[in-house]
Amino acid sequence: MDGAAPLFRMEGISKRYGGVRALEKADLTVTAGGIHAILGENGAGKSTLIKVMAGVVAPDEGTMTLDGREVSFASPAAANQAGIVCIFQELSLIPELSVADNIVISDPPKRFGMIDRKAQRRIAEEALARAGASDIHPCALVKDLPLSRRQMVEIAKALARKPRILILDEATSALTAADVAKVFEVLKRLRSEGLALLYISHRMNEIAELADHCTVFRNGRNVASYPAGSKSDNEVVELMIGREYSHIFPPKPGPTAAATTVLEARNLSWADRLDNISLSVKAGEVVGLGGLDGQGQRELLLAFFGVLRGLSGEILIDGKPVSIASPTAASHGRIGMALIPEDRKTEGLMLPMTVRENLSFAALDRLSKGGIIDRAAEQRLIDDMVGLLAIKTAGLDIPVGALSGGNQQKVVIAKWLMRQPRIILLNDPTRGIDVGTKQELYQLMRKLADAGAAILFYSTDYDELIGCCDRVLVLYDGAVKRELVGAEITEHALIASALNIHGEGAGPKQGVGA
Amino acid sequence: MSETTLGGIAGRMPKFLRRADPAVVTAFACIVILLLLGSLYSRSFLSPEYLLQQLKVASFLGVIATGMMLVILLGQIDLSVPWSVATGAMMACAAAAYGPVGVALAIPFGVLCGVAIGLVNGIGVAYLRIPSMIITLATNAVAQGLMVVYTGGFSPQDSATAAMRYLATGFTIPGVPNAVIIWALIGAAMVFVLTRTSFGRAVYGIGNRERAAYLSGIDTRRIVLIAFAVSGGLSAFGGVLLAGYASKAAQSMGDAYLLPSIAAVVLGGTSILGGRGSYLGTVAGVILITLLQSILSVMQMPEAGRQIIYGVVIVAMLLLYGRAPASR
Repeated sequence: MDGAAPLFRMEGISKRYGGVRALEKADLTVTAGGIHAILGENGAGKSTLIKVMAGVVAPDEGTMTLDGREVSFASPAAANQAGIVCIFQELSLIPELSVADNIVISDPPKRFGMIDRKAQRRIAEEALARAGASDIHPCALVKDLPLSRRQMVEIAKALARKPRILILDEATSALTAADVAKVFEVLKRLRSEGLALLYISHRMNEIAELADHCTVFRNGRNVASYPAGSKSDNEVVELMIGREYSHIFPPKPGPTAAATTVLEARNLSWADRLDNISLSVKAGEVVGLGGLDGQGQRELLLAFFGVLRGLSGEILIDGKPVSIASPTAASHGRIGMALIPEDRKTEGLMLPMTVRENLSFAALDRLSKGGIIDRAAEQRLIDDMVGLLAIKTAGLDIPVGALSGGNQQKVVIAKWLMRQPRIILLNDPTRGIDVGTKQELYQLMRKLADAGAAILFYSTDYDELIGCCDRVLVLYDGAVKRELVGAEITEHALIASALNIHGEGAGPKQGVGA
Repeated sequence: MSETTLGGIAGRMPKFLRRADPAVVTAFACIVILLLLGSLYSRSFLSPEYLLQQLKVASFLGVIATGMMLVILLGQIDLSVPWSVATGAMMACAAAAYGPVGVALAIPFGVLCGVAIGLVNGIGVAYLRIPSMIITLATNAVAQGLMVVYTGGFSPQDSATAAMRYLATGFTIPGVPNAVIIWALIGAAMVFVLTRTSFGRAVYGIGNRERAAYLSGIDTRRIVLIAFAVSGGLSAFGGVLLAGYASKAAQSMGDAYLLPSIAAVVLGGTSILGGRGSYLGTVAGVILITLLQSILSVMQMPEAGRQIIYGVVIVAMLLLYGRAPASR
């Protein structure tokens, strides 16, 4: 792509939110027919940069040029008009509408002033096919699709707008390995069609496979720009976090036979999502849940936490059967369970409330006497947690929504650590957070386990399962299909058992991004 | 442009004012403007007697709006206010007819009847998952029906007890009506509950994101139930005070309190979607609404015109600050 005139250029873009500098004189050049990866920790300014590009946020200063002409976008619609379409990290689909309705939502085809449903369906089918997801029926309701399928619809929706520049912000974080491979094929095809693609991801292997050119952001500035493949992974990570980087995963202590079983399930079944699951977690053990996305892992965690009604089977804590009727019962008293939920923005935090209120929210009963909050005790515990997890915040009394994604996730975890839980359930806690914070979380997880906590850890990232877990249970269709222990936990074994093809070599061919 | 000037002014204001919600500040500013406009019409609008009288009238609305605020903070609404008020008043007066024991228990009995209505609302919303707009409207209708059966559709003959009259019209501290003291006490209790107790935190948490609150181990259903019971109880207590003020209960005496109580809470900067708002704002909203009503009636505006102006002013004030600032 060298020598080609830049299609789009941003120069000296700055943006502040209150006192926080999100972007500081950032530059970016995008050429047609190339895939441009943007790397950086959460809070480095990547999201703000693309929001400026997509017209969601107005920059405080700086210029943007498209085809050599200066442009400014008053709204996302204006950016779309200019050919810049963004697929955001947060899904923008309306669950109650059909896939086709969602795809054409901003500009439906009309006949006599009414929506032309035939044309709409045709457009949707074309877009889905272009996105490599022709297996999704255009008339299906979005709410009936699992998260990974919804993400494919999101991509189709963007393609239906005929973009010249397509921005993907963490667009693969919810996808299964098979879907990622499909998306990559689509992206490569789009590149050959002359589109400019901006790709934001925390997964280094994806970037290595896809990108032609990389730009690293740190603290709101672009700190380095280089052709893909010219730097090693370690160099890149050091650029991103601005310091030496080693040992992502803490060492595992190895098997300890003496520990007692804290959490045990016997024949758990729920509707058609969980099928006779039996498992046990010992104190000091990190047990992973693997498998493709949507095979019952989330439901299993919710079942332990007392959220699901009509659960059959037995849950045992310390070897004694218990009935857990609600999250209140699960977290209080003898059981001492904590759940780090999947979606921190809707399930983990109250975004408009302050960091302080969020941190103490799960431990209010412990911090209050006779219902009245002991503010001194609250402050002490919060200070401990902010220190322990190194939460970066401009103060305890700012809305938690103003923190970066990684720090928000730290708040979610900290608010549960304030209860000193014995059993910790983690539902994909590192989704969409940066490498530096991920590393801190892995270490924290091991530290908690060493201190005697029993940890059940679901992740969509195989590397994490391999690096963090003492054992991994692979789920398929709501049942535990395979248990991998110690050195058995390899990428190959995880993928093979996730696809339920271990043993026989003639399984379905799945293009899995290695 | 206005943002920068506001920022400049804010920089020089004392800390508590800088931290104050702009909506609350606006509401208080509107009160001052209303009083100044009124004083152009008649000097007596600025006299201490008039202001104290307005504060006394406002305290009835204040007590009722306190309960309404709690429910609105949860992201719900309580439309059973009119007949919770009337039920509280009528049942307190009715109890007074049953000898000295009845007289002694009149006030708690009236309040308890309101709590009962609130409990039904709370069970419906929290446990049966009925939208609050529907269930509270239904309990309002049922309460109305029960009261009509009890009174036969006429104004009840029982009259308020001496204690009720004393609470509503007496003076314990010279110069300060008891009703105002009661509102101040209830308001102080509410401020304490909202800011210092785990119940208050839970209310804000549920109002912001019920799912996150539930997954944080909060017993959300219990909190919602309690909030509705408190709202019902405070509405009924407002009715008891009103009955004491007028010496007796009357049919549909609570009808005039539904819109004002919601408007007062929302004008005070509490988000109608829940999760955000301070009690100080509700105080401002209550005084604002009371003054508006009073000034319109002193100006001898015909009833129809009063209603129109009243509604338009509420919409205008909501437009002034009821919308979230643009996020761009």
